[in-house]
Amino acid sequence: MDTLGYLGQGFGVALSPYNLVTALTGTLIGTVVGLLPGLGPINGVALLIPIAFALGLPPESALILLAAVYLGCEYGGRISSILLNIPGEASTVMTTLDGYPMARKGLAGVALSLSAWSSFIGAFIATCGMVLFAPLLAKWAIAFGPAEYFVLMVFAIVCLGGMAGDRPLKTFIAALIGLFLSSVGIDANSGVYRFTGDNIHLTDGIQFVVLVLGLFSISEILLLLEKTHRGQEAVKATGRMMFNFKEAASVFVVNIRCGLLGFIMGVLPGAGATLASAVAYMTEKRIAGASGKFGQGDARGLAAPETAIGASACGALVPMLTLGVPGSGTTAVMIGALSLYNITPGPLLFQQQPDIVWGLIASLFIANIMLVILNIPMIRIFTRILAVPNWALVPVIAIITGIGVYAVHATTFDLFLMVGIGIFGYILRKLDFPLSPVLLGFILGGLMEQNLRRALSISNGALDILWSSPITFGVWVLTALMLAFPLLRIWRRRSAARNAIADV
Amino acid sequence: MLIQRIFASVLLLVCASLALMAWPYQAAFSYEPVGPRAFPLLMLGLMGLALLYMVFRPAPIKHSEDEPPLDRETLTKISICVALLLVFAGLFEPLGFILSSILIGIPMARLYGGRWVPSVIVTTLMAIGLYVLFDRVMDVPLPLGLLDVLEN
Repeated sequence: MDTLGYLGQGFGVALSPYNLVTALTGTLIGTVVGLLPGLGPINGVALLIPIAFALGLPPESALILLAAVYLGCEYGGRISSILLNIPGEASTVMTTLDGYPMARKGLAGVALSLSAWSSFIGAFIATCGMVLFAPLLAKWAIAFGPAEYFVLMVFAIVCLGGMAGDRPLKTFIAALIGLFLSSVGIDANSGVYRFTGDNIHLTDGIQFVVLVLGLFSISEILLLLEKTHRGQEAVKATGRMMFNFKEAASVFVVNIRCGLLGFIMGVLPGAGATLASAVAYMTEKRIAGASGKFGQGDARGLAAPETAIGASACGALVPMLTLGVPGSGTTAVMIGALSLYNITPGPLLFQQQPDIVWGLIASLFIANIMLVILNIPMIRIFTRILAVPNWALVPVIAIITGIGVYAVHATTFDLFLMVGIGIFGYILRKLDFPLSPVLLGFILGGLMEQNLRRALSISNGALDILWSSPITFGVWVLTALMLAFPLLRIWRRRSAARNAIADV
Repeated sequence: MLIQRIFASVLLLVCASLALMAWPYQAAFSYEPVGPRAFPLLMLGLMGLALLYMVFRPAPIKHSEDEPPLDRETLTKISICVALLLVFAGLFEPLGFILSSILIGIPMARLYGGRWVPSVIVTTLMAIGLYVLFDRVMDVPLPLGLLDVLEN
C-alpha cells in the first residue's frame, strides 16, 4: 500500500506549522471573498495567484493556499445563499431553496453548520475516491501520447456543451473564443508573432490573470450597477449554532448518496458543481417523495446540494492532477497558477513531485475540518460582513482587481486590456453566454495546439493518428455520444411540444 | 433576438478579419507538418460556423428574475463606470496607486449610491490601507507616482 504511505507523507507536508497557517489564512480569505457579492471562487483564486507568487511561497504552500481559498469561497457563498437568499454563484442556487427557509425558521446557525458538515462529508468521500482512483488513472495516463491528449481535450470541450444543457451553441462559441485567445502571442514552435498587432505587450500572449479578472470581476462590477440596492435583509443567525446528532443522522444517507454522485460528476469534465448540486437536489426530492418538505426548509434539501458541491469540487481535482486537463473554471485557474511555478500537472506529477500532490490532498482534508470548526465562532463576524453596502464594496473590488492585474507584469497595458475584456465579458453575460468555458478554452487551447502539432509531427502529417489507436477511437465514440446528447434532448422537447399541440 | 443577431454578425466579421490576419502566418523554416496558422484558423472557422447558425437561429435569452431591463439610466451608469476604470488604468502609473485609487474610488462609490462624506472617508482609508497591505506587507510593488516625494 504505497498509496497510504504517500498519503501519510502528504499529511506530513500539510501539517507542518507553516502550511497549517497557510491553510487557515486561505480558508479565512476564501470565506470572506465568497461572502462578497461579485466575487466567487474563480476571482478569489485568480486574485491570489500573483500575490502568492509575490510572497515567494514554495509551490506546495501556494497550491495549498489556493485550494483552501477555493473551499473557503464555496463556504462563503453558502452563507449569503442561506442568510440572504442570494446565491453567490450558479452552484449555490440549489442551496437557497431549503437553506433560506430553514434560516427563516430560526435555524440559521443549524443550517450553516449542517451545510458545512455536509460539504465536509462530500469532500471526504471525494477525497477517498481521489486517493483510490487518482494513482490508477495517473498510471494509465502515462500511456497517453499527444494524439490521445488532443482527443481527450476535444472531449472535454464537447462535454462542456453537452452538459451545459439549454444552450450548447453558446457554450461552444464561448469555448472557441477561449481556444482562439490562447493562440495570441509568439508561437513557441516557429517564432511567428500571432495576432499581436505589433504590440510588444501581447508578445507573451494574453496573461491568464488578466483574462480571468477582466472576464469575471470587471463584468461583475458592471452587473452590480444594475442592482444598486439590496432587496433583502440578512436573517440574523441567533440561537443554536451547531446541529445536533439527530439532525446529522437524518441526513447521513443523503450525504453518502450525494457524495458519491458529486464525486462522479466532478470527475467528468464540464459537469462541475452546478450540475452536481442540481442533480443531487432533484434526486433526493424524488427519493423523499411525499414525506419530504422540500422547498420549505427540509434539512435533506440543504444537505443534498451541499454534499454534492463539496464532493464535486474535490472530484474536479482528479482530472486536473492526473491528466492535466481541467474540468471546471476553478481548476483551470489552478492550472494557470501552477504554470507560473513551471509545474505541469499530469501523470508524471505523481511520480516526480508526490509532495505537491499528496500534500494538496491532505490539506483538503484539513481545510475542510477547519471550515467546520471556524464556522461556530466566526459566523457572527461573517454575517456582519454581509451588511457592507455595495458602494463601499465595489471600489475596493475594482481596486484590488487592479492590483492583482498590475502585480503580474507591472504594466498599465494589462489594466487597459482587463477593462476591455471586462466589457466584452459583460456583453457576453447579457447575451446569456456562459463565461467559464472561455476560461477553460483558454487553458486548454495552448495544450491542445501543442499536442495536435506534436501528434501530426509524429505521423508526418497523416491525420489518421488522431483516431487509429484504441484509446483515441474510444474517446471519439464518447465525444460523438456527448454531441448527440443535446441534439436528442432538443428533438425530444420538440416532439413533446408537437404532441402537446396535437392533444389540444 | 435582434441584438443577438447583431452581436453574432459583428463577431463573425471579427472572425473573418482575424482569419485574414492569420492567413500569411507561415514559419520561415520548419520541420513540422502543421504550421502556426492551422490551429487558429480551425478555431476561427468553427466559431464562424457556430456564429452563422446564430445569425439565422438566435436562441432566446433567459433573464433571471431580479434582472431589470437595460434602460438609458443604467447604460449611462455603465459607461461612466467603464470610463472611470479606463481613467484608473491610465493614471495608475503617473499619479501613483494611492492618488489614482482615491480619484476613481470616490466617484465610483457615489455611482453605487454612497453619500459624499462616507465615500470620501472610506475610499481614502481604503487606498492607503491597501497600499500598505500590498506594497509594504505583501511585497507586491505598487507605483507611488506623485507621492514619491513623501518617501525618504
